[in-house]
Amino acid sequence: MNLASYRKKSPWILHYNAGGCNGCDIEILACLSPKYDIERFGMINTGNPKQSDILLVTGPVTKRSRERLVEIYAQMPEPKVVIACGACASTGGVFRGMYNCEGGIDQYIPVDVYVCGCGTRPEQIIDGVVQALGILETKTKELEESVRLKKETVKEGKQINRRNIADQVKPAMI
Amino acid sequence: MGRQYEIPIGAQHISLLEPLHFKFTTENEKIVKTDANVYYVHRGIEQACCSKFKFRQVSFVVGRVCGLCSISHTTAYSQVAEKLLKIEIPLRAKYLRMLVIELDRIHSHLLCLSHVAENSGFEALFMKTMQYREFSMELLEAVCGNRIQYDFSIVGGVARDLKPQVAQSIMERLKKFVPQLDELMDIYKNNWTLSLKNKGAGAITKEDAMRLNVVGPFARAAGLAVDVRNETEDLLPWKEVGFEMVTETTGDVYARNIVRLRELYVSIRIIENIINGLPESALITETKAFPDGEATVRLEAPRGELFYYAKGNKTQVLERLKIKAPTFSNVAAMTEAFTGNEYGSAPAIIASYDPCLSCTAR
Amino acid sequence: MKKIETTIENLKKDIAAFYKPELQHFMVMNAVDLGEKIEVQWFFSNYAHPCETICFYALVSPETEIPSIRDIVESAWVAEAELVDLMNIKVENTQKGFVLEPDFESGPLRKKK
Repeated sequence: MNLASYRKKSPWILHYNAGGCNGCDIEILACLSPKYDIERFGMINTGNPKQSDILLVTGPVTKRSRERLVEIYAQMPEPKVVIACGACASTGGVFRGMYNCEGGIDQYIPVDVYVCGCGTRPEQIIDGVVQALGILETKTKELEESVRLKKETVKEGKQINRRNIADQVKPAMI
Repeated sequence: MGRQYEIPIGAQHISLLEPLHFKFTTENEKIVKTDANVYYVHRGIEQACCSKFKFRQVSFVVGRVCGLCSISHTTAYSQVAEKLLKIEIPLRAKYLRMLVIELDRIHSHLLCLSHVAENSGFEALFMKTMQYREFSMELLEAVCGNRIQYDFSIVGGVARDLKPQVAQSIMERLKKFVPQLDELMDIYKNNWTLSLKNKGAGAITKEDAMRLNVVGPFARAAGLAVDVRNETEDLLPWKEVGFEMVTETTGDVYARNIVRLRELYVSIRIIENIINGLPESALITETKAFPDGEATVRLEAPRGELFYYAKGNKTQVLERLKIKAPTFSNVAAMTEAFTGNEYGSAPAIIASYDPCLSCTAR
Repeated sequence: MKKIETTIENLKKDIAAFYKPELQHFMVMNAVDLGEKIEVQWFFSNYAHPCETICFYALVSPETEIPSIRDIVESAWVAEAELVDLMNIKVENTQKGFVLEPDFESGPLRKKK
C-alpha cells in the first residue's frame, strides 16, 4: 500500500465563503450534522488551512475576498483538492456581471470538482466530496502546478479581472 | 494598566460561517475596543436590481441576498412591488407567506442556537440541535420544493399551493418537535457548563439597545420590545394568527438563547393556527401595471427588522431599490457589546449575535 | 410613509428635535440619484403601535458635504460610511473604503452620464 491510499481515509475539510449567500454554507453544516454525517468518511471540519486536504468554497469571488481565497489555497499543504459548491462558485450564477463580483472561483484557483445547484443539496455535496477523494488519491506535485494562476490581467468592459493575483503570493506557495 | 495587544479574528475562522473580520484590542485578556469589517461579501445586488433585471425577476434575485432568510427578502420585495403596482394580494397568499416565514424562523433560530453551542465548546449539543433542525428543512422542501432558496413569494402572490397531505405532515412533525424543543430548552437553560460560557457574556443594557437602534432577538434579549410583527398589520395579519412578544431582561448570550427558544414556541403556535384556519381563495393577483412612485416595507426576518425602499418610474426596471438588513442595524452595537468581555468568549458572543453578513453587505 | 422635507442647514436641528432614543428608531440612510441633484433620505420608525415610517429628505448637489448625524444618532456611522462609497457623496468625518476596495471606482449606484 502506498501513501496515497491512506490519505483518503481521513481528509479534513476547510470551508471558506468567498461571497455567497450562506445557503450552501448551511448545507455544508448540515452535512456535518447527524442526518448526513460525513464524518463516516473520516472528514472533520477544521478551521486551519495548514491541516486540511479539501477546500470547500462557496460563492462568487468578491473583490475583497479574492486575496484571502488565494492566500488560504496557498497555505494548504499538497496534495489538496478544491470543490466549488453551488452555481455561483462554479460560474458566478446569478451574481455574474455584478460590479463587485467575479465569475466563479476557477478564475483564481484550480477547481477539481464542481457541484451544481442553487442551493446545493447535502447529497450533492457528499457526492462531490467522495469524487474529490478519488482525485486526491491520484494527485501528484506536478499536477498541482496551476496554469490558470499565471494568467494575465483581463479587462472586460470596466471590470479588471485580476487573474494575475497569484503572482504576488507565489513565494509563499513553494 | 497592562500592555495592549491587537488580536484579529477572521476573515476565515472556524467559528465564523461567513467572512467577517474583527480586530480586538485586548488588555490582560479583556477586550477594550473592537473594529469590525463586515463588507467582505459585497456583491452589488442593489445596482443589478435597478439595471439588469426586470421588476418581476428581482424577487428571485433578492432571495439570493441571503440563504438563511431568503423568504423574508422575497416576501418583503414582493410587498414593496405590490405597493408600487397598487394591488392587493389574495388572503390565502398572505397566510402561506406567513407559514413559510415562520418555518424559516424555526430553522434559522435552531441553526443559530447550534452555532452558539459549538462556539461555546459544546459539540454534542451542536449535533443534537442540528439533528432536531432537519425536520424544518424537510418541511420547507415539502412546501416550497427546495431546502434553501425557496422563491416562494412572487410579485402578486405565491408560487405554489399548500397540499392537504403536506399540511397534515407539518402538523404531525410539529407535534413530534415540541418535546424535543422542551429538551433543548432544558439544556440551554440549566446546563452548568454552558452557563459558564453564556451567562453574563456580551451583555447589553436596554438603554444601550435603544441608543444604538438594535433590532431583533438581540434587542428583545435586552428587554427592548421591538418586533415588526407587533407594530404593523397592514400587510400580513400577524396578531390574527397568535403572535406574542417574547422578551428577556439580562441581554447576554444566555438571554438571547432563551429568547430564540421561546420564539420557537410562538412560531409553532402560529403555524398551527395558520394551517387550521387557512382561507380558500386564489393564489395570485394578476396585473399588467408597471411600478410607479415610492414605497417602503418593513418585515420581521429571523434576525430582526428588514426594510425595503423602492422607487419605480413606470418602466420594467426599477429606479432604486434599497435593502436594509437586520444585521446592518446591529453592527454598531455588535462592536460595543464586546467591551469588557474575555477574549476567549468572543466566538460564542459572535455566534449569539447571529450575524448575517451577506444580508448586510449585499 | 410620511415624508418631511428639510435642508442641509436645518437637518441636524430637525433631527435633534425629532429623535428621542426611547421613542424613535433610526433605520437607515438612503440616497436616490435624480440626475442633477441627489435626494438623501433618513428613515425613522417608532416603537409605538401602529408604527409609522418617517422619512426626512434633502435635495443636495453631488459636491455638497452632508453633515453627519452621529452625535445625535450614534449608530448612524454604518449607514453614512456605506453611502459615501456607494453613492460617491461627501459626508462629514467619513472616510472612503468601508464597503468597496480602494482601487475600485466609487459610486456604482450613481447614474451613468
